[in-house]
Amino acid sequence: MTQMMSPASIAASRPATEDVKLEVRKLDFFYDRTRALKDISLSLPAKSVTAFIGPSGCGKSTLLRVFNRIYELYPKQRAKGEVLLDGRDILDRSQDLNLLRAQIGMVFQKPTPFPMSIYENIAFGIRLYEKLPRSEIDGRVEQALRRSALWAEVKDKLNASGLSLSGGQQQRLCIARTVAVKPEVILLDEPASALDPLSTAKIEELIDELKADYTIVIVTHNMQQAARVSSRTAFMYLGELIEFGDTEQIFTSPQDKRTQDYITGRFG
Amino acid sequence: MMGLCVAAALIGLAWLALILGALLWNGLSGLVPAVFTHMTPPPGEAGGLLNAIAGSVVMTVIAVIVGTPIGILAGTYMAEYGRFSRLTIVVRFINDILLSAPSIIVGLFVYVLMVKPMGHFSAVAGSVALAILVIPVVVRTTEDMLNLVPNALREAGTAIGAPRWVVIRSVAYRAALSSIITGVLLAVARISGETAPLLFTALNNQFWSVDLNAPIASLPVTIFQFALSPYAEWQQLAWTGALIITFAVLLLSIVARALTVRREDR
Amino acid sequence: MTAPAVARDARVRRFALTDSLFHALTRAAAILVLLLLGGVAVSLFLGAWPALSHFGPAFLVTESWNPVREKFGALAPIYGTLVTSAIAILIAVPIGIGIAIFLTELCPRPLRRPIGMAVELLAGIPSIIYGIWGLFVFAPFMQTVVQPFVIGLFHDVPGLSALFAGPPYGIGILTSGLILAIMVLPFISSITRDVFDTVPAMLKESAYGIGCTTWEVTRRVVIPYTRVGIMGGVMLGLGRALGETMAVTFVIGNAHRIHASLFAPGTTISASIANEFTEAVGDLYTSSLVALGLILFVITFLILAAARLMLLRTGHKAGA
Repeated sequence: MTQMMSPASIAASRPATEDVKLEVRKLDFFYDRTRALKDISLSLPAKSVTAFIGPSGCGKSTLLRVFNRIYELYPKQRAKGEVLLDGRDILDRSQDLNLLRAQIGMVFQKPTPFPMSIYENIAFGIRLYEKLPRSEIDGRVEQALRRSALWAEVKDKLNASGLSLSGGQQQRLCIARTVAVKPEVILLDEPASALDPLSTAKIEELIDELKADYTIVIVTHNMQQAARVSSRTAFMYLGELIEFGDTEQIFTSPQDKRTQDYITGRFG
Repeated sequence: MMGLCVAAALIGLAWLALILGALLWNGLSGLVPAVFTHMTPPPGEAGGLLNAIAGSVVMTVIAVIVGTPIGILAGTYMAEYGRFSRLTIVVRFINDILLSAPSIIVGLFVYVLMVKPMGHFSAVAGSVALAILVIPVVVRTTEDMLNLVPNALREAGTAIGAPRWVVIRSVAYRAALSSIITGVLLAVARISGETAPLLFTALNNQFWSVDLNAPIASLPVTIFQFALSPYAEWQQLAWTGALIITFAVLLLSIVARALTVRREDR
Repeated sequence: MTAPAVARDARVRRFALTDSLFHALTRAAAILVLLLLGGVAVSLFLGAWPALSHFGPAFLVTESWNPVREKFGALAPIYGTLVTSAIAILIAVPIGIGIAIFLTELCPRPLRRPIGMAVELLAGIPSIIYGIWGLFVFAPFMQTVVQPFVIGLFHDVPGLSALFAGPPYGIGILTSGLILAIMVLPFISSITRDVFDTVPAMLKESAYGIGCTTWEVTRRVVIPYTRVGIMGGVMLGLGRALGETMAVTFVIGNAHRIHASLFAPGTTISASIANEFTEAVGDLYTSSLVALGLILFVITFLILAAARLMLLRTGHKAGA
């Protein structure tokens, strides 16, 4: 699955900027025999927001799901190529999947609180990899809830079920849960598509605050959202990466005809 | 034609009502405190069913303790680790057959497996026979209920770095808990009236015994023996025992269903 | 490496280990389920071997069952099993389907749930209850009312007079078959109802839309659509009737004879085993009873496997 490369060649092919967090090289993805991603290569800068846009079925979510290898929950799905996290290939067989997912967190389209209390929803992830005294966990839970702008709303009912919250609150709880594990990268798979405008605005504010500390990748079908929150944007179409650049450039002067057609609403 | 369907429904239900009526009529008259405080009597004397009830409870408890974990683990394999494996398809098919296989055959199996080598009937053998009946029920419910847990929840658990077994334990089991309890209750309901698999595994015992290595009385086998006897006292106890079992089974089934309904409402 | 990183690595290794252990444990449990059925087959075969090798294929077609002279044949129990089950299915299937139609198409909505639930609860009542009722209530009723009447009715009709020949014992093949019918009735009707519920509402509505009556919709749409599922349900009911022990043992009479009359006492495979197993003396006797069990196992396995395959085709999962 992995091509061995000498350290020298890795260094040579890396972009000059030192702050590349995640680098994709010649990535192909297959659902059984269908090739869903075709020869994708791109580099994601650290501590910034990158958006993946494109019509549905273009492979943007598939690409996101390669980054934490969550696709391996299902049979007959496989990735070929390299995805480097800080220069280390995470597609390598020796990569521990649980650790990878602790390093690269993910928030899903539909809010998915665990069937436990608000407090436990967050403490659950913390306890996985860190053995901490109760007081310290309390602190971490509070910190995570504050970061996701949920603390004020839930501080008096931490023992209530996570399922008792509204949709927007649930999604922020999921973000808090992800942040609490202290990942390096956060993957957001259409995080606001199931929410009302007000909740969406809150999520977007949150993304803006989180980018100071985390490398964020967001998949969205909402172009305005991509334009609002991201600094770089990748446009994908039929499993290929068509264009990748600064968000402003992609939306104001796209180089490719297909990108232009998509952002002007001619298809998709 | 539709009139015939109404008639069919009426006949069917009336018939079943008739059986329950007879059971109440004959069983209630013997339902006195002594039934729960006295041992099964010798022929022609008054007594109770205490040792038989105790024996049934002991064997049912052991069967559930042994059978439930195996059933839950196997169902977990089928719905989680082995969801897409060929083994799961085979196990599901075989489990469905075990689910409706004649229980007397399970009795014969345990006789050949345990009673014959050990040289005597025992409560352990009876419990094992009942456990074999518990397993397929629990396997089926566990698999079904875990399959109802949305994949999004599994992905979410996996995505924060929890290993599969933690996701199963802390997320999937928790989401499916009340339904799995339902499955166990239904399994208890199923085995608490089973007679055939106990006839030549646990046999019977006229006296108080909780020795697992000795024959033990059970309610169904006692009913069988007493009903076929010529003694009026024994026949009365058989009716009363039958009433107790029916009440217990109906109660378990209703509680089990109420649990599921509450889950659906939430 | 920093201390937290070391701790983290230790955790990672422990997770990998526990996960593979748990994986192996669940897999072992799943395989145990397979082994159970395999174990049943093997142990029955081993237990039956002395009798099978002693009597050979003749075991299947010999009527005689003589513990004193140690001469055993399975024909009478096989005959009794098949005939009682056939009676049960012939009666329970039409009534069971009728109840299902009633519940899905005719029953007033508020009554649907309670009656449906009552039927399901009745399917869970232990068979020994049916047995004791059969012995004390139904058999005397058959003996004093039904059988004398039927014998009188048919005594000079050729054929039927042999089928319903006296004396009226009360117990016997017909009584057992009737009790089995009552027992499998809730079972068949609850599966059939579940299968009926899989008919898409749109299909029924479009039939009603072109002016079909309830009966026409049932006959032309619901039953054809669910034919395979109903067959599966009937086969499951048959599997249950074939293997049923306690409801039959009380009222079959335990006679290893094949009699033309349905009123005569007989025996079934499971009733023979239940009645005689603990009293059987001698290895050949015990082995012959186990051989009966093996025959029952093979028959029910085939029937149940066929039933499951049919239900699988409708995508319906029947409970049992």
